[in-house]
Amino acid sequence: MELTLLLLALAVLLAAGAPVAFALGAASLSAFFMLGIPPIVAFQRLAAGMNVFSLMAIPFFVFAGELMARTGIAERLIHVAEGAFGRARGGLGQVDVGASMLFGAVSGSAAASVSAMGSTLIPMMKQRGYDEDYAVNVTITAAILGILIPPSHNMIIYAAAAPMGVDVGALFLAGVMPGLLAGGALMIAAWAVAARRNYPRGAFPGWRVFLRALAAAVPGLMTALIIVFGILLGVFTPTESAAVAVIYTIVIGAVLYRTLGLEEFFAAACAAVKTTAMVMLIIGSAGMFGWLFALLEGPQTLAALLTAASSEPWAVMLMVVLILLVLGAFMDMAPLLIITTPIFLPVAVEVGIDPIHFGVVMLLTLAIGLVTPPVGSVLFLGCAVGGAKPEAVVKTIWPFYLALIATLLLVVAIPALTLWLPALFK
Amino acid sequence: MFKLLTAFSKLTSRAALYISFAGLIGMTVIISWQVFARYVLHAAPSWTEQASLLLMLWFILFAAAAGVREGFHIRLTLLEDALPDNRKRILRLFCHGVVLFFGAAMAWSGAGLVFETWSHTIPTLGLPRGLAYLPIAIAGALIVVYTVERIILETRGGEAERIWN
Amino acid sequence: SAANERVLRSADAHPADYPTVLAVDEMGRLLEERSEGRLSIKTYAGGQLGAEKDALEITIFGGLDLTRVSIAPLSAIAAEAVVPALPFLFRNTAHMRAALDGAPGETILAALEPHGLIGLCFYDAGARSFYTRDRAIMAPEDLKGLKIRVMNSDMFVSMVETLGGDAAPMPYGEVYQGLMQGVVDGAENNWPSYESSRHFEAAPVYSLTRHVMAPEVLVMSAKRWRRLSEEDRALIRQCAKDSVPFMRAVWDERSRKAEEHLRAANVEIVTPDTQAFVEKVKPVWDRYLTTPALHRLADDIRTLGQTKEAGDV
Ligand code: NA
Ligand code: NA
Repeated sequence: MELTLLLLALAVLLAAGAPVAFALGAASLSAFFMLGIPPIVAFQRLAAGMNVFSLMAIPFFVFAGELMARTGIAERLIHVAEGAFGRARGGLGQVDVGASMLFGAVSGSAAASVSAMGSTLIPMMKQRGYDEDYAVNVTITAAILGILIPPSHNMIIYAAAAPMGVDVGALFLAGVMPGLLAGGALMIAAWAVAARRNYPRGAFPGWRVFLRALAAAVPGLMTALIIVFGILLGVFTPTESAAVAVIYTIVIGAVLYRTLGLEEFFAAACAAVKTTAMVMLIIGSAGMFGWLFALLEGPQTLAALLTAASSEPWAVMLMVVLILLVLGAFMDMAPLLIITTPIFLPVAVEVGIDPIHFGVVMLLTLAIGLVTPPVGSVLFLGCAVGGAKPEAVVKTIWPFYLALIATLLLVVAIPALTLWLPALFK
Repeated sequence: MFKLLTAFSKLTSRAALYISFAGLIGMTVIISWQVFARYVLHAAPSWTEQASLLLMLWFILFAAAAGVREGFHIRLTLLEDALPDNRKRILRLFCHGVVLFFGAAMAWSGAGLVFETWSHTIPTLGLPRGLAYLPIAIAGALIVVYTVERIILETRGGEAERIWN
Repeated sequence: SAANERVLRSADAHPADYPTVLAVDEMGRLLEERSEGRLSIKTYAGGQLGAEKDALEITIFGGLDLTRVSIAPLSAIAAEAVVPALPFLFRNTAHMRAALDGAPGETILAALEPHGLIGLCFYDAGARSFYTRDRAIMAPEDLKGLKIRVMNSDMFVSMVETLGGDAAPMPYGEVYQGLMQGVVDGAENNWPSYESSRHFEAAPVYSLTRHVMAPEVLVMSAKRWRRLSEEDRALIRQCAKDSVPFMRAVWDERSRKAEEHLRAANVEIVTPDTQAFVEKVKPVWDRYLTTPALHRLADDIRTLGQTKEAGDV
């Protein structure tokens, strides 16, 4: 009864257009009043939700990503991708996907990826006669690859939200193959649409130019090695690795490339603070909501519903995928990860699914939610960067959705895609 | 009176921006120091984790409050976009009301939390636990002020000057 | 509503089959039986209503009725709660149980009341020992240069550092990964936790220092307590007391099984002579026994039953 009212209030406030964090918070607060629980408990949950050591990786990774976008690291990665993929039909689409994969490998932030790739590539594509909707479609769907390709602050959020210990190092490795697979699928989609619309072919710049571009990009690409191997070898925790990435990027930008001035630095810091404050306030409000959900025995209700239909691992996983796709249409990744991981993961483990496999499936599903309407932060950001209307963009995005869904189904069906690489490093 | 409110709102929004910068940079320095101390000085300081967490809580809440004034919190505009202008304004006023309710509860309960936990200590820092809750009270109060400003501006048909960009 | 007024909500960070959770369930059964259905308890296990320190605050605020916590978060609230966590305070399990069942235990529980908590009873948490990735801890010197994970508690930080190790306060959930990757070299805990957390897979050397025997505590919200009649208060106190022997039986069995399993697994178990450790931690005692009353409490515990030697359990 109370549970239904709580969900209903949330839906009404969200639809009315109250900011997500405040809709979650106000709906939860009303429930606290209704249940006669002092409201200070609600705000203790808000603070506790944000007061988590591993969540500090979020501001760090976003800050590092914004710095990379502004210090020419991103641009150098685009040059490499241009040399490698530029010759194909609609070559700039391939370049966009390739460069996003490289950028995804050095930054964990889909938002930073959209601003880094989009601000350079979308104008470039428009100038060479590509349609705006295509340019934005490729950019936003490719931006979510960085969530699977390590490092990824969303993986850290998953590990932090998991009720049992999840090895972040193993999770990072598990994302590599699904990330590459999704990238390949997006390249096929980008090529198919480009061929139908008869977009131009690029030219190979020659080995000399390509190798020079590659050499120039090496210091940026080193970030990925430092972070991933630093974590795997136990040199630092994921949170520490993110702080080290910030320092490293500052050094590269200020000393090596000499592209980082005070202006870029403060712009990056401002963007990082905004994103972090936005995400963390939602995480805090989700903390209130989650506490009520547990108190009203929501997880048990949901688990009973889930396993009533079937307790086959793949069936449970597909049901979770469906639920998350629906939820992901309306809500952002981080709060959904925080709210639903403790609910779904125990059920998944109960029916014999590996927490690492399940995590990658959840991450890919929720990442797709970032580019689906009505609420998709990466979709909105990409439209803002590209100066396009979300309605227009979404109309022609389905081949890219199809590529991502096909990848998702493969990842669900074949556990080895995620588990093989971590097992290799054990 | 409204002029005073506007001036206060501008001033605090700018202050929140600078506090956030300082907080983010401070956190980066503290956690990097933790790594440096472990490998170079061979001594792991035990205070760094709690200190940077406390710093994060403070700057995030200030930034989140400023986000109400600057309007950068994520929200759904599907319904709003579908409505005619005069209805739009009613819907927006309703949403300001939701934010105001939350902000007022935040200020009140935040003060209660500070009061109830001031005598508890944060381990490894030795500071009062209430310090972790103080920014909730302050951010709540700021959210109330910013929302009142936005409601007044909404009825008059104006916009606040953006400080963050 | 009336139904909400009746059911006492109780939080526990341990999983549903853990002895403390089973004990509160048992307490609830006794309460329901003896109050003829007027009062009952619903337990929320597995930390779903918050980490220990958070659940404790919520209980003080009146958002939860009961909470089971370890002594560490309580010592940030009341100085007396630090005493039973002092290293090498208890000689053995029997000594610990006698002290907590007796006057010293009453003193500690009563000290919580000004802070909004009614202390109901103590549960066992066994003896904590160090476990490490490779080096056995036979003497305090063996801790030198090792990063040892401790609970987020000043007393534990100060204990490990006084013994010569590097204390690394870290959330429990991050320890497994930290040990696996060598971010920390070791940690310390009792048999059942060492087993259930699977930390033994990453840190297979268990050195039986048995340095701390800090108990767990069941507390009730004073806000709820004040709304109860005298009879109901007495009834709740009695049911809590009666759940203690039940808890100890479950605990002993579980501890025995965990030890058996770990001995059968490839865990290297060593038994150091603790005399050198006892000498070395003296400064920790001085640091925390800051008032005459705290000194008296520690002395009362130390001298308890010293004349007739209690057998080890
Ligand atoms: Na990434
Ligand atoms: Na979406």
